Amino acid sequence: MVTYEVFLKKDGRDEFRHAGALDAANDELALVLARESYARRAEGDRLWVVRREHVIVADDEFVSPNADKPHRHHDGSAVAARRKSLREQGS
Amino acid sequence: MIEVSPGIRSYLLSIADDKHFVGQQHAEWIGVAPFLEEDLAFCSIGQDELGHAALIYELLVGDDDLAIDALAFGRSLDEYRSCWFVEQTYTEWSESLVRHWMFDTADALRWADLGQSSIAELAAIAARVEREEVFHRLHADNLLDALLLDAESSAILRSAASRLAPFALGMFDPVQEEAEAVAEGVVSRPFSESLEAWKQLAEHRFGPLLWGNPPDQAHRTKRSIEFRALLGRMREVIEIDLHAVW
Repeated sequence: MVTYEVFLKKDGRDEFRHAGALDAANDELALVLARESYARRAEGDRLWVVRREHVIVADDEFVSPNADKPHRHHDGSAVAARRKSLREQGS
Repeated sequence: MIEVSPGIRSYLLSIADDKHFVGQQHAEWIGVAPFLEEDLAFCSIGQDELGHAALIYELLVGDDDLAIDALAFGRSLDEYRSCWFVEQTYTEWSESLVRHWMFDTADALRWADLGQSSIAELAAIAARVEREEVFHRLHADNLLDALLLDAESSAILRSAASRLAPFALGMFDPVQEEAEAVAEGVVSRPFSESLEAWKQLAEHRFGPLLWGNPPDQAHRTKRSIEFRALLGRMREVIEIDLHAVW
């Protein structure tokens, strides 16, 4: 048996989203089983299955440093505070 | 809802009852099929079969749920028109899978003869059924393709196919009123004319089979020993309170 990841997309602009995973004997059965397991009530109208072994997985260490970069969070509050301060000084 | 003669009604019931009971048999694998994905797929297919049966019942009695239930679950045993093949409860997965393939390949031949039916509503149902049955056959064929490559699985499946073969012949045993249905153009030809083609498909799939004789189901007027228990399971909830309103 091969493990597959299942992705579904609804009609319209929604992107493909991960729906779940399943085991199947081959690619065609994976599509049949995905259709009946994840799209049986028309949860999506487009379907991808991807062999899990074909997913390229990044190491945790490769991704995790980005969790400590507050300078990449642009909520604008620092700039707004500075402009407010300058306005008050000018008035 | 359509008005038909008792003979045509009997003919239509034979198609619906086969679908109804094979759907029930498939659905009883919920939770106990060999693996989760197959569990879901097989029961979804069973649910489709129940849906197809309901379309024909609705054709006969209209869209009133109670009337459909009465027809589906409330007839006396001798009023059902199923073949014995769908009345058998198989507790071996191999037998259920083989029946799935045998029933769906035969059923495809039967519905092909209904596509030009003189009953327009039935022809429309035939088109809808085929749209869904394509996937049922894809499922059965793919699973068998995979399993028949394995020597042990292949031996189990071929043995099951030989045990089931005589019962499967009963699918082609029509109700007596089939001749009336052919004469009136409800169906283009007797189902038995598809038998040889179907046997070739079955032997191509499973190898030579010991066909034996079909069961003595008297043109579907007699029920098999297993039927009473099957109907009992199907009526289990409704019989808790026959007058309950849901």
